[in-house]
Amino acid sequence: MKIERLTQFVLNHPKLVIGATLVLTLLFAAQFPKITVDTDPKHMLPATSPVRQYNDQVERDFALHPDVIVLGIVNSDGIFNPQTLKNIKELTRAIQETPGVISRDVDSLTTVDNVSSMNGELVVKPALGDIPQSDPELAALKKALLDNPLFVNRFVSEDSKTAAIFIPIEPKANGKEIADKIRSLLPKDSGGDRFYIAGDPVARDTFGAEMFRQMALFSPIAGMVMCIALWFMFRNVTVIIANMAVAMISILWSMGGLIGLGHPVHIMSSMSPVFLMAIATDVVHIFNEFVFRLQEVKDKRKAILETMETVGPAVFYSDITTAVGFAALATGAIVPVTIFGLVVGFGTVAILLMSYTLVPAILMLIPEKHILKMVKAHEEKNQESFSWLSRLGRFCVEKTKPILVIGLVLMAVATAGLARIRVNNNMVNWFKWGSVIRTSDRVMNEHLGGTSTAYLVIQGQEDGVIGTPALLRQIEGLQRELEKDPLVGKTFSVVDYIKRVNRVLHDGDPAFDRIPDTEREVGQYLFLLQSAAKPRHLDNVIDYPSRTANVILQLKSWDAGVMEKVAVRTNVFLAARPLPEATTIKPAGIAYFNKVWNHEVLWGMLNSFLWGLVFVLILLVIETRSLLWGALSFLPLLFTIAFIYGVVGLIGKDFDMPVAVLSTLSLGMAVDFAIHFVSRFRQRLREKPDLKEALIWAVARPGKGIFLNAILFALGFAVMGFADLTPYLTVGILMAAIMILSSVASVIYLPALIQLARRKLVKEDVR
Amino acid sequence: MKTLRIGLALVSLLCMSGMGLESATAAETSAGSAVMKETIAAYYYARTDAKSEIRMRIVNRQGQTRERRLTLLRLDKADGGEQSYYIYFHEPADVQGMSFLVLKHPGGDDDRWLYLPAIDLVKRIATSDKRTSFAGSDFTYEDVSGRDFDEDEHTLEGEETLGEHSVFVIKSTPKRPGEVEFGTRKFWIDKATHLPLKVEHYDLKGTLYKVYETQEIQNIEGTPTITKAVMKDLGNERFTELTIKSVSYDGGITADLFQERSLRRPSPQWIQ
Repeated sequence: MKIERLTQFVLNHPKLVIGATLVLTLLFAAQFPKITVDTDPKHMLPATSPVRQYNDQVERDFALHPDVIVLGIVNSDGIFNPQTLKNIKELTRAIQETPGVISRDVDSLTTVDNVSSMNGELVVKPALGDIPQSDPELAALKKALLDNPLFVNRFVSEDSKTAAIFIPIEPKANGKEIADKIRSLLPKDSGGDRFYIAGDPVARDTFGAEMFRQMALFSPIAGMVMCIALWFMFRNVTVIIANMAVAMISILWSMGGLIGLGHPVHIMSSMSPVFLMAIATDVVHIFNEFVFRLQEVKDKRKAILETMETVGPAVFYSDITTAVGFAALATGAIVPVTIFGLVVGFGTVAILLMSYTLVPAILMLIPEKHILKMVKAHEEKNQESFSWLSRLGRFCVEKTKPILVIGLVLMAVATAGLARIRVNNNMVNWFKWGSVIRTSDRVMNEHLGGTSTAYLVIQGQEDGVIGTPALLRQIEGLQRELEKDPLVGKTFSVVDYIKRVNRVLHDGDPAFDRIPDTEREVGQYLFLLQSAAKPRHLDNVIDYPSRTANVILQLKSWDAGVMEKVAVRTNVFLAARPLPEATTIKPAGIAYFNKVWNHEVLWGMLNSFLWGLVFVLILLVIETRSLLWGALSFLPLLFTIAFIYGVVGLIGKDFDMPVAVLSTLSLGMAVDFAIHFVSRFRQRLREKPDLKEALIWAVARPGKGIFLNAILFALGFAVMGFADLTPYLTVGILMAAIMILSSVASVIYLPALIQLARRKLVKEDVR
Repeated sequence: MKTLRIGLALVSLLCMSGMGLESATAAETSAGSAVMKETIAAYYYARTDAKSEIRMRIVNRQGQTRERRLTLLRLDKADGGEQSYYIYFHEPADVQGMSFLVLKHPGGDDDRWLYLPAIDLVKRIATSDKRTSFAGSDFTYEDVSGRDFDEDEHTLEGEETLGEHSVFVIKSTPKRPGEVEFGTRKFWIDKATHLPLKVEHYDLKGTLYKVYETQEIQNIEGTPTITKAVMKDLGNERFTELTIKSVSYDGGITADLFQERSLRRPSPQWIQ
């Protein structure tokens, strides 16, 4: 057999194999200094995706800055006091001088003009110029600002307790670094003022920085926890070294390869080390069998050869299914997920390679006296655990029916839970509830229009069409309709500017707070607006030929669902009052982006998942050379996944990106145990055709390896339960649960199923 | 003019003999002020009155354009002092007849009026903000009508050649920073005509964001006049081209033209 020849070669040249592995590993490790990070959620979709291209076009056409940080200043006694106003003024100035900030476009009460009407005159002056000191002056300022609908809930909250500064940053600038600089500018003695920093670039770049910190912290901890667990299992340093070496090598190869190919590390791929470390525990099966064999044959070389012959095929298929499960992610459209799937898939193949080369080579180099110690320790411990597991095996074989009934009940519960799954993505929720980012976002959304932004672009067929009163009224109606949703905090468009001009030209008369009746009037107001406001503000909502208008929505939640509701409301409204012929409306902006992406996550993942299931089933059938055995080995996996996602649905956790990705991952991993169990059980049955005895043996011997593997795996992931970022936390806890559950399903549920279908199965096997 | 040259020579001498930086700085400031005074006079106060037919073309980053055609009348009381502007828009069609009247008071807020033909409304505008866009272009109101000399500190940075012109380089820094969107401006001023050839605008962080360039100077009735210029907004990738189709000086524009009532009924003698 080929495998045997490979093992023979490795055993003849252990040092050569180790040396060659080291050299290769160094080559991959040399790529690490080139590392780059990308946490922009927009990059979830490829640069060529129509949504992304349209979004870029809208941002370009309407001179919108893609990255804006919002600084909120909250004072529970109201912001209209000299100290708070002075803080706003000084902070604005200091922020404008901060590197990375687009100074001129910083929008604050001190940098935008308020156009109002006073004593029959049109008054154009900075919203906040010289700081008023007396109470009447302060009251007058408050009234002037709250009178301007363009300011309310944007620059000042309705209850006047909050003010906001909008800080666009340069495309290459790091949001977290700028947020940190802004924090250092905040006044030490702030009086009653509290400051909050929010916005997509801050969340994104803070996440990027945190991501590294957390992974740098948790990868070694996971490694250590696994080392300790391995020590308790085998009491042998070489085994620990071999296991860790396999893990480290696969991490270095796959991450080095990723970086070397010039790909940035995304949130998904940053999790690869922990995954690979966990997958590397598969080599435990080799150690487990090696120790058993060594006791039997008392010859190191022979023990290794026999181990590789018996465990080899199971290791091969379990690693291949894992690799395929991950590679199935590559069938989706979400780039970072595809890359992640390929990285872990490649790492798994590296682990497989190591299992056949490095592991036997290291085992070969273990000094004889250590081995004898290990075997002795193992013999003592083994007696108890073996008898304990044998009893468990007997129980499984005898109590077939109760086990199957319990399984069925659990499946029914899981199905109910599956029906309740809610697909949603919310980037801010990637931070914990009490974190600075999430608190800021919450506070700002309580007080102001909203931290998330969407655009509705209304495109007419000919120049000047936006300037027609009928279409403007239509846009206004749509805005009022959308504002009925409590999570749509503010909407503004060219309509709001035109109405404002109309009113101030008519001495502030509220009767003129409306769209004028003639196109000529609209044209002259627009002309005036171009001269009065910063040109960019008007450019944000209407293009030069007045052919396209942009309605800007501020949303109070990053949930993808909000944008879905906006789309529904828009469609219902426009169905009743259709736009003029050939006029289209199209959404864009980060909120819409999240919605699309959310949708893609669902379908992309579901698609990859189904493909993964098919691949794995095919592999299982090939491996067992039987449709029935293949399907049987498949069941524990299906059971585990249904149960885990049933629980996710039942406890009301959002099915977000990390959870979605897990579904595909768990595939390749959860099936490993069934592969080991079935392959070893059938080997045993062929040697000794006694079904009951073979089942009990399988629960006790490969079952032990399975439980050891599951515990190691679960421990490695469980440490992520202490992470500060919720995706890691979710992945850690769910993955640990999946491992424990699938080991239990394979070792306890499978024997019951085999018992149930014994006639057919055994007939097939005997044949 | 002569005194200026001598002053400058003196400045260079002082610098070369290394008589200390501080005195040189003071001298640079006074030299800079002298150059800037000349420039303001040549650029914004040429002769006593002027009538210009102006075209503006505003181009944004998508290449979309906005065109404007306007007549501008100007009458000075004294060089560097009070002056009046009357601006009448012919195009685009829907704003035809919109007009502005400005009575400039250096050192104080200007008087401004606006006329909207669509609702036949004359409105007085009270504003302290002179940095707003002029008719939606990249030129600000101040770029068109002139920024008060005393608002900035002007220092002479040096002399160089720009194309075929030998120029003074002046740095102007606002005396009350934070009230305007720029941190400093840098002027390249033609020694021969005193007209600015290039102006760079730097923001509060010192980043260049806007550049003015003179593209054509014509000698009109013996007065060097800028007839073509462009203002480029680097950050927003847009620019405005300003072309003066015709200029006539000292044609006898009278003060009674610059009255609120002439907004409704522009004088046919001056506005066709």
